[in-house]
This record gives sequence, C-alpha cells and structure tokens, in this order.
Amino acid sequence: MDLDVHLAAIIDGDTRAFGAWLAAAEPRVRDSLRSFARAIDVEAALQETLLRVWQVAPRFSPDGRANGLLRLAIRIGRNLAISEVRRTRATPTGGDDLDAALAAAEAPAPPDPMLRRAIGECRNKLPTRPRQALDARLAGAGGQADDDLAAGLGMRLNTFLQNVTRARQLLADCLARRGVTVALEIGP
Amino acid sequence: MTDDDEDLLIEQVAGAYRPVSRDELRYHPAWHDLGPDARARAFERARALRALEAALDPDGLSTTARAVLDRITGRR
Repeated sequence: MDLDVHLAAIIDGDTRAFGAWLAAAEPRVRDSLRSFARAIDVEAALQETLLRVWQVAPRFSPDGRANGLLRLAIRIGRNLAISEVRRTRATPTGGDDLDAALAAAEAPAPPDPMLRRAIGECRNKLPTRPRQALDARLAGAGGQADDDLAAGLGMRLNTFLQNVTRARQLLADCLARRGVTVALEIGP
Repeated sequence: MTDDDEDLLIEQVAGAYRPVSRDELRYHPAWHDLGPDARARAFERARALRALEAALDPDGLSTTARAVLDRITGRR
C-alpha cells in the first residue's frame, strides 16, 4: 500500500489524513529505530520524528516512488537518533541498517481485521481491574502520566502498573488460545 | 533493584506518555533508571503494546499516534 495517497491532504493540513498515515507508518518508523533502543528513549525520538514529519510535509516533494513520506520519516528518525547518541555520548548497538528499514517501508502491511476482532474480544473478557488499567492507558492517549491515571482509578502507581502487566498477559493468553502468536514482550 | 521493580519501570517506559521537557526530546524519567537490556525490553514491549492499542482503537491509532496528533492540534 502506498501511504502517499494521504499526502495531498496532509500538505493541506488535514490532521485526519495525517492520522491515517500515522496508523500505518508508525510501526515502520519505530522498527527502524530498534538499534538505538539501548542508547536513547526511542519512544521520545519517535514522537519527535512524527511531529517533524507533519511540520516538513508541506515542503515535501515526492520522488515518484511509493511511500516517499514514510522514507523521509525513517531518515528524519535516524538522523535524530544519531544526533541524540552524539549529544549523550551513548553507544548504540550494532545492526543499524538504513537500507533494510527503507526497503521495509516500501510495502507497509495493512491491518488484519481478523486480528483486530480477536484482540477486541479478548479485551472484553479481561477482569475489571486489569481492563480498567488498560482502558485508562488507551483513554489517556499518551497525554497523562501513569501516576495520574492510577489516581483516577483510585489505585497506587504500582498496583496500576501491575494491572497493566496483567492485562497484557491475559490478552496474550486469550489470543494464544485462539491460535494467535503474539510478540514475546506481550506475554508473561 | 529487584526484577519486579525493574519490570514496573519497564511498564512505565513502554507507555506512550512523555512529559513536557525543555529538552528537544521528551524522555520518560524512568528510562534513566534502566540498564541497556531493560531499555531494549521496554522498546519491544512498547512495540507490542502499540499494535494492541491500534487494534483496539476505532481509527487504528496507537497511543503514540494519539499523543503526536494531540501535540499537533495543540491539545498538549
């Protein structure tokens, strides 16, 4: 899928179009920063990268190949990560392969509707407290600290985090029973 | 630090919340308390969590994407 189908609307300042682009592009850009994970806070670098993509998009000129904006995002993220490594004098792990990341950007996979449904059904089966914690994280949309989310649920921070962990593990168990293999860090 | 303590820090760092900072990048404070291996685990956990979050979101957006859009629209 060529995510540049959203480009004209993004250039016009359409945040919904940028959201549609983000939904497919974010995992690719995140994966391209894996080799920096031991040296910098990749989540922080990723959010800054995606923000910069929005800021520079009006000046972006497509090169005629698919997923130009995604390839630009990967380059912005990599440059930002390298700059941060230099600033903090950290040592990144090897395996930083820009070409591989750019190649992977050529064909982002569309979301799997069957998987989406399975995850939604497993979420609905979670016990109350783990589900509350997971839902609070979702509703917080990355804008509220875990302390605040915990307080809103009347939980201590550690209890809240333990419930997030439990929600994650129960979701993995539920998905495994449906034959869905999930990433190791989801499960126990 | 016990393994349980470290795991709770990883759980925090794996979330999308990043505080407003004077620095260019908004590091999570707990990230600094983790060693390299734990930081790598936080990365993998965040990666897995975002996929779950996107699957549970009506627009297919993870909390990372929501956080970025909120910064763009001035809600943060």
